[in-house]
Amino acid sequence: MSHFTQPTEYVGRPARRVDALDKVMGRAKYIADYRVPGMLHARCLRSTLPHARIVRLDVTPALKVPGVRAVITSEDFVDHGLYGFPVKDKYMLAYQKVRYVGEPIAAVAADTPQAALAGVQAIVCELEPLPALFDAERALDPDAPQVGPDRTDGRHPNLKSDHMLVCKGDAESELADCPIVLDRRYFTDWQEHAYIEPEGVLAIPTPEGGILVYAPNQSPFINQGNLAMTLGLPHNLVRVIQPTVGGSFGGKDDIIYESSAQVAKLALITGRPVRMVFSREESLVASYKRDAMHMHIRLGADRDGTLRACWFRGILDSGAYASETPFTAWRASIHAMGAYRYKACDVDVYCVYTNNGYAGAFRGFGNPEVCFAVEQTVDELADMLGIDPIDLRLKNCLRLGDETAHGQKLTESMGLVECLTTVRRISDWDRKRAEYSRQTDTDKRRGIGVAIMYHGMSLGAEGADYAGATIAVLPDYSVDLTSGLTDYGTGSRTVFTLIAAEELGVRPERIRIQRPDTNTAIESGPTVASRTTVLGGNAMRAAARNLRQTLDLAAADLLRCDPQQLIRVGEAYVGPDEEAVAWEKIVDHAREMGLILSAHGKWEAPKIVWDHHHGRGTPYMAYVYGAQVAEVEVNMRTGSTQVLHIWAVHDIGKVIFPQGAYGQLYGGITQGLGYALIEQISYRNGYIQETNFESYLIPTSVDVPEITAQFVESAYSYGPYGAKNIAEPSLVPTAPAIANAIAHATGRRVRELPMNLERVLLGHDLQPPASTKPAQIALSIAPRSMPQPAGQSVVRHAAATNGRRS
Amino acid sequence: MLIQLTVNGETIAVEAPPDITLLDLLRDYLNLTGTKEGCAVGECGACSVIMDGRLVNSCLVLAPQADGSEIVTIEGIHAPDGGPNDLQQNFIDYGAVQCGICIPGMIMAGEALLMHNPHPTRQEIRMALAGNLCRCTGYQQIVDAIEATAKQRQGEMG
Repeated sequence: MSHFTQPTEYVGRPARRVDALDKVMGRAKYIADYRVPGMLHARCLRSTLPHARIVRLDVTPALKVPGVRAVITSEDFVDHGLYGFPVKDKYMLAYQKVRYVGEPIAAVAADTPQAALAGVQAIVCELEPLPALFDAERALDPDAPQVGPDRTDGRHPNLKSDHMLVCKGDAESELADCPIVLDRRYFTDWQEHAYIEPEGVLAIPTPEGGILVYAPNQSPFINQGNLAMTLGLPHNLVRVIQPTVGGSFGGKDDIIYESSAQVAKLALITGRPVRMVFSREESLVASYKRDAMHMHIRLGADRDGTLRACWFRGILDSGAYASETPFTAWRASIHAMGAYRYKACDVDVYCVYTNNGYAGAFRGFGNPEVCFAVEQTVDELADMLGIDPIDLRLKNCLRLGDETAHGQKLTESMGLVECLTTVRRISDWDRKRAEYSRQTDTDKRRGIGVAIMYHGMSLGAEGADYAGATIAVLPDYSVDLTSGLTDYGTGSRTVFTLIAAEELGVRPERIRIQRPDTNTAIESGPTVASRTTVLGGNAMRAAARNLRQTLDLAAADLLRCDPQQLIRVGEAYVGPDEEAVAWEKIVDHAREMGLILSAHGKWEAPKIVWDHHHGRGTPYMAYVYGAQVAEVEVNMRTGSTQVLHIWAVHDIGKVIFPQGAYGQLYGGITQGLGYALIEQISYRNGYIQETNFESYLIPTSVDVPEITAQFVESAYSYGPYGAKNIAEPSLVPTAPAIANAIAHATGRRVRELPMNLERVLLGHDLQPPASTKPAQIALSIAPRSMPQPAGQSVVRHAAATNGRRS
Repeated sequence: MLIQLTVNGETIAVEAPPDITLLDLLRDYLNLTGTKEGCAVGECGACSVIMDGRLVNSCLVLAPQADGSEIVTIEGIHAPDGGPNDLQQNFIDYGAVQCGICIPGMIMAGEALLMHNPHPTRQEIRMALAGNLCRCTGYQQIVDAIEATAKQRQGEMG
C-alpha cells in the first residue's frame, strides 16, 4: 500500500528516548523515591505455609503497637476483596484459606517501616495446615488435595482451565502413517521477572473521599476497576497514575493491583498517605512467576523431512491462583506446533492449581515454553534424517499464502523465510555447522544451533482489542499527548511521540507525553501482549491526523488556498505564494477562527474469529516472525555453557523507533539466555528456595555475548506505517536455539530448563536439600532506615566543584 | 552519631544512627534518591556510588564507614551547565536506557572504569559492569555508550 513507501521524517529514523535524560541524570522518580508529608509505611503479614486454613486472625494486638495506625484484613474489602481476570479467585488479603507461601493475610500501616513490621509480628494468626499439592501432573487425581475453589459443574476443582485446542485433520491416523515419529517430553521451570525495581505503591486519600494511587502497574485502568470494586468507591473517585516503572515484563499486574488495594484501604482508614515498598526478598516470595510447563509432543514426518503431523499435550502449573494463566495456556496452544505446515494437528493444553506460588503473565506468555519443545524436536528430526536444521526448517516453515494449523491464511507481512536465510548468512552458519560437527576436542566443544518462531500480535481471541489516544496544542505551542497504553521501560512513549510528530509535521522536541493517568487518558485495554505500538500507535496516529486536519484548515484559510495546495517545509506551512508561515502562526490563526486544537483518536483491531470448541479459526490478526542462531562452547568437564554469540533476525514490520526496537531485541534475548541456562525458581514443598539475586541468578554483562541483530520489515497493512511488534517475541526462540547449539556441541539433548551444569554434564538433576528457611527469613527481614523529613539533622557546607567533567 | 563526609563536592555533617548503610544515608537522610536499592545485598549494583575513587555498593557500606570519605553519586555527575556529561549523553544517544532503574549505577560504574582505565576494550567494559544487573537492555548499548565515551575522551586528550 502506498503509505508504506512514503518517505518519513521521524518514523524509522534515529531518535532519542523521550525519558532518557531524566533517567541518566538520576532525576526519574520511582515509587521508592516518593516522599509525601505524613506518609505512613505499610507491610503485609504473609503466609509461611503453602496451604492452610486461617483458624484465628486477631489484629487487635497489632493496633496496640506504638506507631501502628491501622490494620486491615479481607473483612475490610467488599466481597472480601475478591478479584481476578479472567477467573475471580484471589482476594486482596487472604480469606479463610492461604494457598501459597507468601500470600498476604493482613496489612499494617504505621509511622515507620519498623513499627509496621512490629505490628505484623503482633498479629495473632493461627494457621491449620491442609494437605498440599505440589505436583501439577497429579493435580487432577481424584484424591489430590483441593487447591482451587469449589465448583458446581462436577469437574475437578484443581482444573483451572482445560481444552485449549488446535485441531486440524486427524493427527492420530496421520502419525500412524508417518515413517518417522518422534515422541518427546519437555519441562520448562518457573521464571522470575526480576525487574530491578521491586514492587511498591503509594496511595493518597483525596478530600472528596476518594483515593489517588501511584502504582507502577502495566494497566492502570484495570487497577482502577479493581480498586473501585473492592473498596466500594465509584470509578470517578479512584485515580491511578503510573509513575516511572523500573521494569515489569508482565510482572507488575496482579501483584501491584493487590498492593494498591491494601495501601488504598489503609489510606482511606487513616486519612493519610500510605506507601508500601517490597524488599527484594518479599518480591521474590510474594510475586507471581512464569508458569512451569510439562509438555509431551509427537512429531511425524516423511523420510525426506516433510513434516506431516503434530500432537501436543501441555499442563501448565499455575500455582495457587489463576491470574492470567488461562490466557497463557491459550497462547501456548496456538503456538505449540511452531511456525510450520502440517497435514494434521492436535493440540490440547490445560492448566491446574497447585500450592507452588502462583503464575501469571511473563513476556512471551506461553510461547517460550512451547517453542523450547517444538524447536528441539524439529532439530532432533533434522539430526535423525541427516538434514541441515536450517534446510529442514526452510522446507517446512510457513510462507506467504500458506494456511496455519488453525486454518488462518497468511496473506501478507510474512518474512520468516527471509529471517532464516539472513540469519544463516550473517552467522556463517554453514561453515561453523560443518566445522563443529567434526570436533574431537574432549574438553571444550563448540556448537551452533537455530530456532525459529512466530508470535500472534496483540490479544487475539483473548478479548476486545482497541485503544485510544488524545492530542492537544497547549498555549505555549507545545503538543501534549496521552495514551491509555503505558510505557514501563519499553519505549512506547517515544514511539507515540514519533508518530505524532510524523503526522502533525512538527519536531518531536515540541511534543510531551503525559504520564498514564486514569483521569486524563482514554481506557485502552491492558498494556500486554506487545500490543502497544500497533494498537496505541494507530490510535495516536488517528488522533494526530484529526488535529492535523484542523491545522490544515486554518493554514488554508490563512494562506487563501485549498488544503490540498499546502506543502510543508519543516514545521512551516507553504501555500501557493511560496511564503513559509511558521507553525505557531497557523496555531494562532486556528484559535482566532475558534477551532479547537485538541483531538482524540481510537483504533480497533480487525475482528478475529476463534472457535474454542473445535480449535479452528483466526486466532490473531497477524504474526511476527523470527529466527535466532546461538553459538556456544560447552565445558565437557563441568557442563558449563558459554554463549559465544547470538544472531537474531526478526520480522517486526516497519520499525518505528530503531534504537528502541534493537534494545527490546537485545534485552529479550538476554532474558531468554537466562531462561535457557541459569534462571530457576524452585518450589520445594511449596517453599521458594531463591529469595535474592545471590541465589536467583540473572545474566550479567559477562554472561551475555555480543548480539548481532537485524530486522526484516515486512509491512503489515493494519499496522501504523506497516509496523508490527517486538517486545515479547524477542526472547521466544533464544532458549531453544541455545539448546540446539548445546546438542550440536555435546551430542546430547537437554529437555528441561534451565540447562544448568548438571543437566548438561550428567543429564539429570542434583537435588539440593529443600529448606523452608529462605522464605521464612525473607518474610521477616527488618527495615533498616526510613525517609527523614527533608533537611532535618543535616548541616551543609559551601558547595564546591560539582561538575565532574567538562 | 555525627557522620561527616563530602558528597558531590559538598561537605556535610549529618546525625544518623550508626547501624544504617551509606545507601540509607544518601537516600533517607540526604534525599539523594538517584542512587537506587534493588537487592540490599550487594548483588545488583543499583546502589553503586564512587567512594574515595572506588566503585562501591553503597548498600554494603555502613554509614559510619563513610565518615571522612568523599562520595560521588549520580547527582554529582553532570556537565558544568547542569546538563548531561559526555557519558550520560552517550547513554541517551546509544539507546542504553530502557526502564532506567539500573542506569544511575551503570553511569557510576562507567565513570569508575574510565577513571582507572581510559582505553578499555569491550570485554573490559563488560567486566567492569559485571556487578551491575540490568534486566532490560542486554547490556549491549550500555557497552556501546561507554566505549564511545572512552574514544571521545581519548580524542579530547590527544
